[in-house]
Amino acid sequence: MALGLDELLDTSGFVPHGVCLLWRPDILALHVASDMLIGLSYFSIPVALTYFVMRRRDVEFGWMALLFALFIIACGSTHFLMVWTLWSPDYVLEGLVKAVTALASLGTAAALWWLMPRLLALPSPKQLEATNRALEQEITIRRQMEMRYSSFFNNLAEALFIVQVLPDGDFAYEAINPALARATGLDPERLRDRRVRDALAPEAAASVISRYVACRDGGESIDYEETLDLPVGQRVFHTMLVPVKDAAGRVVQILGSGRDVTERKRLQAEVVQTSKLATLGTLAAGMAHEMSQPLNVIRLWTENMLSRLRDNLLEPQRAERSLTLVIEQTDRMAKLIDHVRTFGRRDGGGMQAFTPARCVQSAVELVRHQYALEDIEIIESATSAQLPVTGRPLELEQVILNLFSNARDAIIALRATDREAGRIMVAVSDDRDGQNVAIQVTDDGGGIDPSVLPQIFDPFFTTKEVGKGSGLGLSIGYGIIDGMGGRIDARNVDLEGGRRGVRFTITLPSQPVSSSDRELSHA
Amino acid sequence: MPDPLHILIAEDEVLAAMALEDFLSLKGFRVTVAANGAEALERYGREQVHALVTDLRMPRMDGQTLIREIRDRDAALPVVVMTGYLTEDSDLKHERWKPLEILSKPVNPRIICETLHRMLGLPLEA
Ligand SMILES: Nc1ncnc2c1ncn2[C@@H]1O[C@H](COP(=O)(O)OP(=O)(O)O)[C@@H](O)[C@H]1O
Ligand SMILES: [Mg+2]
Repeated sequence: MALGLDELLDTSGFVPHGVCLLWRPDILALHVASDMLIGLSYFSIPVALTYFVMRRRDVEFGWMALLFALFIIACGSTHFLMVWTLWSPDYVLEGLVKAVTALASLGTAAALWWLMPRLLALPSPKQLEATNRALEQEITIRRQMEMRYSSFFNNLAEALFIVQVLPDGDFAYEAINPALARATGLDPERLRDRRVRDALAPEAAASVISRYVACRDGGESIDYEETLDLPVGQRVFHTMLVPVKDAAGRVVQILGSGRDVTERKRLQAEVVQTSKLATLGTLAAGMAHEMSQPLNVIRLWTENMLSRLRDNLLEPQRAERSLTLVIEQTDRMAKLIDHVRTFGRRDGGGMQAFTPARCVQSAVELVRHQYALEDIEIIESATSAQLPVTGRPLELEQVILNLFSNARDAIIALRATDREAGRIMVAVSDDRDGQNVAIQVTDDGGGIDPSVLPQIFDPFFTTKEVGKGSGLGLSIGYGIIDGMGGRIDARNVDLEGGRRGVRFTITLPSQPVSSSDRELSHA
Repeated sequence: MPDPLHILIAEDEVLAAMALEDFLSLKGFRVTVAANGAEALERYGREQVHALVTDLRMPRMDGQTLIREIRDRDAALPVVVMTGYLTEDSDLKHERWKPLEILSKPVNPRIICETLHRMLGLPLEA
């Protein structure tokens, strides 16, 4: 080894650096130990840095760490060479390594300064921690909100659904809530993200899609009643659709809510039916009388003919007249039977256009005779109105019959106080511009106490004794007229001869929208 | 031939009254028709009447009132009631209205005729 050192020294003519230190062992030891330690440390740092960069691939400017590693390895090498040159004066080699170190340092320093603004912009761990905390808080709040909304969505008794308007304009279910699932028997999981046309039975799909189209194209909320055939059976829903638009104003989503009104509808129909039956009940006596009349006439005329035939007193003319009369009486009975039949029927016939005058006429015919027996006269005037209205004629007839029976009750009650009464005036008239038909029923039964006037249309409001009045007549009448798009009101009137009474006025629109499509557009 | 017996009919249904009038006339009665209770009572006041055939439901004065008015004046006048209702006769079934017979509608004019014969003590026809 000493020989080798001498050779190097000899070839270059340098002396080892140890000479400068006078080969003092203590100083040599200090230098050797320090440089070795620095070198080893410097060599270990790049390993750590490289390891760090390899493991944390997300670290920004990782190449900078590699630059550091290179520069530190170079530094470390100079220190090892400094130990080496204590004995071997390879100053050329040492100089070269230093030059490499200088270049690496310079590059690293330059890169560092160049990167400085960007490094400064990097968030500090403290900052990151604060941001994280804020984010966590936000997430908690959002989660709470989401929980609140989803608990609304999931627990509300109202059936809710979200329909997505697809780019091609078609509709798909985004979500339906459990209430809707319960009410319809549809499976939320199977419905999710499915096109409406595939998710429902064809008929139901066609019916709801037409509503979605109306909401999509109209861009406004709509509400309507619909009858749907569902897995749970036929149900009636009151549904509301609300469009959700994107920034461009295009409808991208439809929020829907529906209330199952099947039961309410049924009860309503039942109440109408009950009152109809009640009206029918009060009419039953009159009907029996009406039926016994023609039957009686028939019996009398046929017996008469038979008797004359036996006595050889039946001339052909008389026979013909009698038989014609008998046939007329059977017609009269057939009409009555028809009437009772249709009157008791559940739906009261379909919606149709008809002239109200005809209804008034038939209501009058139904009670005229019966009322005449009680000296109550029904006076018709101006029943030539021609304008048609839309609705169920029998329902309107029921309303008018109830007005008659109220008038009759009032007249009888007034007579009990020894005052004269006994007239019901009926008038039907078209208004001048052909928009409305008005039906007026006026009686001379003394009028209504002004303090109860506002309540007479309330269900179950009656001033009559138990068993006489149900208090349903006017409220149901109100419902029926309202359903036809009309109005009914009452006011007290003074009549000639100092008589007083009530005038009910029914105003019906002549061309209402077709009722099957009657939607209340929320404009 | 003795003067025919006079029957007063109170009936508001014109066609029924006409047929009954014709039938009873053929059987030898003199017949007067009144369209309601008030008119019948007025005819009763003016003429001698041997029997009353009356409806119950009539305008102006019903059959029940008519019978009450007539019983006040004549306790023995035969009365035949034609009615479509059973409930309405209940009170009329009472003894105090006798002689009174109730026939329900549709009535058989032959039965009316027979009833009148019996009540008036006439020989029944063959
Ligand atoms: N023509 C009328 N004259 C006086 N009061 C009337 C008349 N019509 C209705 N009323 C009052 O309005 C109330 C409610 O009428 P309605 O709804 O038909 O029920 P009801 O006839 O069963 O009592 C009656 O009880 C009565 O007090
Ligand atoms: Mg009433």
